Amino acid sequence: MRELLLTLDTSTEITSVGLAWLTETTLETFASAVVDAPRAAMSRVLPTASSLLAGGMLSVRDVRAVIVGRGPGSFTGVRIGVATAKGLAHGLGVPLWGVGTLDAIAWGIAADRPMLLGVLGDAMRGEVYPALFRCGNGRAERLAPDEVATPADVAREWARLGEPLTLAGNGLRKYGDLFTDALGDGATLADELLWAPYAEGLFRAFAAARAAGELGSGEPGELLPIYTRLSDAEENEAARAGRASGQTPSSGVAGESR
Amino acid sequence: MPVCAIAIDTTSRDATEALGEAVAPLLRGGDVLLLSGDLGAGKTQLTKGVARGLGVVEPVTSPTFNILLVHEGRLPLYHFDLYRLETAHQVDDLDYWGTLEADGVSVVEWGDRFPDAMPADGLIVRISITDDDARRLELEPLGERGSQLAAAWAAAAAGLNGISVEMDSEAAR
Repeated sequence: MRELLLTLDTSTEITSVGLAWLTETTLETFASAVVDAPRAAMSRVLPTASSLLAGGMLSVRDVRAVIVGRGPGSFTGVRIGVATAKGLAHGLGVPLWGVGTLDAIAWGIAADRPMLLGVLGDAMRGEVYPALFRCGNGRAERLAPDEVATPADVAREWARLGEPLTLAGNGLRKYGDLFTDALGDGATLADELLWAPYAEGLFRAFAAARAAGELGSGEPGELLPIYTRLSDAEENEAARAGRASGQTPSSGVAGESR
Repeated sequence: MPVCAIAIDTTSRDATEALGEAVAPLLRGGDVLLLSGDLGAGKTQLTKGVARGLGVVEPVTSPTFNILLVHEGRLPLYHFDLYRLETAHQVDDLDYWGTLEADGVSVVEWGDRFPDAMPADGLIVRISITDDDARRLELEPLGERGSQLAAAWAAAAAGLNGISVEMDSEAAR
């Protein structure tokens, strides 16, 4: 017995879609596509999924679960990905599960060789989403929850670790030099082709969360995006409304890492 | 309010458009012009000039109802109008930050509408009506790139017909 899984992530400028077969013991990615679609995820994600399904002589009705990259990333991108995945799962009557976008990048990179991996998502407006992973034996163990920070603070903190660090993520396009300067010889940039959340990484992150019993209910209505921060405007609005800073609002904007 | 370092006067609609055209060659990906001024002040007129200077051939109209119109030129031109937005966080629905930091030039009408939603770097252009078709444009830079752009634009505009540039001593250093 095998089940068809569909995954998608539009949190970055890359629209990533993939299909996998899940059995009792295995999860095998058999089709995937990435489209370089900055600010065009909405028009690309469903047609890309359709053509992958058609290529496998499959119908969207064959999909038994949807897995979405929940961010953090571009606000709009995360929204498009999560809303599309919710609509699909709800319409099909199948479970929806989420994985962190930075986790998917880390699981895509993790190999047998042990290494410390720092993933930097571009948070816009001069900030990044940093996440550290201990990788090895094909696994990526997250060391801290998602957050937003200034590149200079993150570079300082990572330099203090005093350990060789592999770097990945689209935040490096703007701040790569800052990090290589701060970390010196200790820093290695992962191949730029590996900086995005590909289907393989999304599925591997999902499989790990599933094995650890860390998946949520699968109820499409309950899955929350990971925005990490409110927009500045919302922060200020919340402050004016007298809400305590850092409190998770009812919309679930400040998500946890899974 | 910071002191306005550079003010530019134009004597006609054509001169306002020519002023926009003069900034175009100086622009690079990620640059942002935030236009402010009453209805009819000439925000769209200035943008038409920027578009022409960027090599946009299609007509440029105010994106009041579309909120964002994209034109292809030497660089993509992202022409925003925030007039119809009610709250600052609605800019997130437009992928405002992602677009401003992308590969193109952003010109934002009513760009100073929300103090909470202003970029750290860019150039505010405050347009006021001085006479029928005459306009005064005050340049208020945000950040280093904004200052650079203001100075370069003033220099490029200085010799043009119907345009006069005023700089205070600090800005002319």
